[in-house]
Amino acid sequence: MYKQLMKGNEAIAEGAIRAGCRFYAGYPITPQSEILEYMSKHMPENGGIFMQGESEVASVSMLWGAAAAGVRGMTSSSGPGFSLKQEGIAYIASYEVPAVIVSVMRYGIGGGDITQGQDSYLQAVKGGGNGDYRLIVFSPNSVNECANLTYEAFDIAEKYKNPALILGDGAIGQMVEMCDLPQHKEHDINKYSWSIKGRPAGEKKYKATNLNWYYGDREWEKMVRDKYRAIMDNEQRWENYCIEDAEMILVAYGISSRVCIDAVNMARGKGVKLGLIRPITLWPYPRNAFYDLPATLKGFMVVEMSITAQMKEDVILASKAKYPVFDYCTAIDIPIAENIVSACEDALEGRLAEREEL
Amino acid sequence: MKTILEKPKSIVQSCGWCGGCGHGVIQRLIAESNEELGLTDKTINVVDIACCFWSLDGLDYDGIAGPHGRCAAVATAIKKVRPDKNIYVHAGDGASYGIGLSETMFAALRDIPITMIVVNNGIFGMTGGQMSIATTLMGEKTTSSQNGRVQELNGEPQDFLNILSQMDIEFAARGALYDVKEIKRTKDLIKTGLTRQSEKKGFSIIEVLSPCPTNWGMSPVDAQTRIKEIYTKQYPLKVYTDRGGREHE
Repeated sequence: MYKQLMKGNEAIAEGAIRAGCRFYAGYPITPQSEILEYMSKHMPENGGIFMQGESEVASVSMLWGAAAAGVRGMTSSSGPGFSLKQEGIAYIASYEVPAVIVSVMRYGIGGGDITQGQDSYLQAVKGGGNGDYRLIVFSPNSVNECANLTYEAFDIAEKYKNPALILGDGAIGQMVEMCDLPQHKEHDINKYSWSIKGRPAGEKKYKATNLNWYYGDREWEKMVRDKYRAIMDNEQRWENYCIEDAEMILVAYGISSRVCIDAVNMARGKGVKLGLIRPITLWPYPRNAFYDLPATLKGFMVVEMSITAQMKEDVILASKAKYPVFDYCTAIDIPIAENIVSACEDALEGRLAEREEL
Repeated sequence: MKTILEKPKSIVQSCGWCGGCGHGVIQRLIAESNEELGLTDKTINVVDIACCFWSLDGLDYDGIAGPHGRCAAVATAIKKVRPDKNIYVHAGDGASYGIGLSETMFAALRDIPITMIVVNNGIFGMTGGQMSIATTLMGEKTTSSQNGRVQELNGEPQDFLNILSQMDIEFAARGALYDVKEIKRTKDLIKTGLTRQSEKKGFSIIEVLSPCPTNWGMSPVDAQTRIKEIYTKQYPLKVYTDRGGREHE
């Protein structure tokens, strides 16, 4: 481990390089441009390839070609730029090519605003591109996790031959903190049996395309189903905080989860028993976190920087709708701990109505 | 003397192209060129997902089917990762000059040593013969320009090799397939592009005027006559730029 004071976005880039990522293609967009800038300097220093694409679409297409050729590769974006990348992401998923994509969320619909937000949840977790695929989605809530989850994402993407997504947010991306950087490792671009190498005559060739073309529809469908089931079974991650005797459990990820820790402490200081479940993987959603809940529990409170409580449907599903699920959503503003506590008090004392999920 | 004609060894299965289509001839020229140049063992193909897609399985190369229009970007990245391999793109005019014009232009602007083979039939073949806004001739009737292409709505078709050859690239040329002489000349152009790439020179693009008898509603012979008499007036058969192997300036 090597300790360094870093910005979240830089930690994502450094974590990738240390994981053996040697190809990055990107396009500037706030609030993640530091990833592009960091890569432009440090990727060549580490013997890797940095490409500033002419567009988001070209950048993700470059990632796709590079990853299919066997290299560890990454692209990053935010908001409308992440929307533009969906074409390439769907192809990468369809061809079962491991790659890492980063979306440092900003706020708003369409152009929105360049400031922090958490409203790309549904796009990241429930689809984005066309067709029946999932991304393995990690949500860092510290600069340290920016580096280390990105580092691990390359291994997990490789293990399942599936694109992984780091769903950051503008606040964590711009935050400066101490970070434990993982060990450098190298990746052999010739290690895969399946990658494009330019094989000579006489060797069986690899064709990167839709896999149902080669496996047949039924077999491929089973492969897809089995793969996502295995990821669901093996890769759920979350963190619990003070849930053993909680009356209300906050559910939050990214920047909101950090404020929620303050809220739990503040509430407990005045006798209100709050707890927190912080999903670290957003897909697979940590359903296992909701299997063993305290007898004291009266409900959940989803805390998210969105307008419509996007993650709420997953909390309802994970808790099998056995508890009321409230939401405290702050859209463009970072939530304030005192207000979270007040909302929970209101909910526990019957002053806050449970809104139906949109 | 008895001559036995054989197909190139790299062609390993039949393809789904229509009778009289130019794609099969172009695929064969690519395979022959690579074999004659000794490049077969280091070739990677990037095919667009329209009619070109058949060539992914038709040829015995490692390959990738690019998303529609993105082949130049995909090929750019593969070349960066595997610079010692020969990477060529097989894509249509809609992919290369329409939806993927930006990717084509920037691969040229970066002078990436890849070889783009653009099959220009002035139409969207795979989807059933719609207008290609980049290349369909003025007045030409297609399923999406049923009264003929008009200036007010669609502008004029462009000779994109004119624009691309303004950049500092290695080689840009156009060929056709309407008689043996032109087929041979087109093969020479393709060989030039592939050779320059193997010599680590820059970006090359060879456009081939190619018939689509099915969607043009013509016999294969009439379709080739149409290319010779009409298409070549809009899209002249010539070498647009040839850096002659000079180093990038």
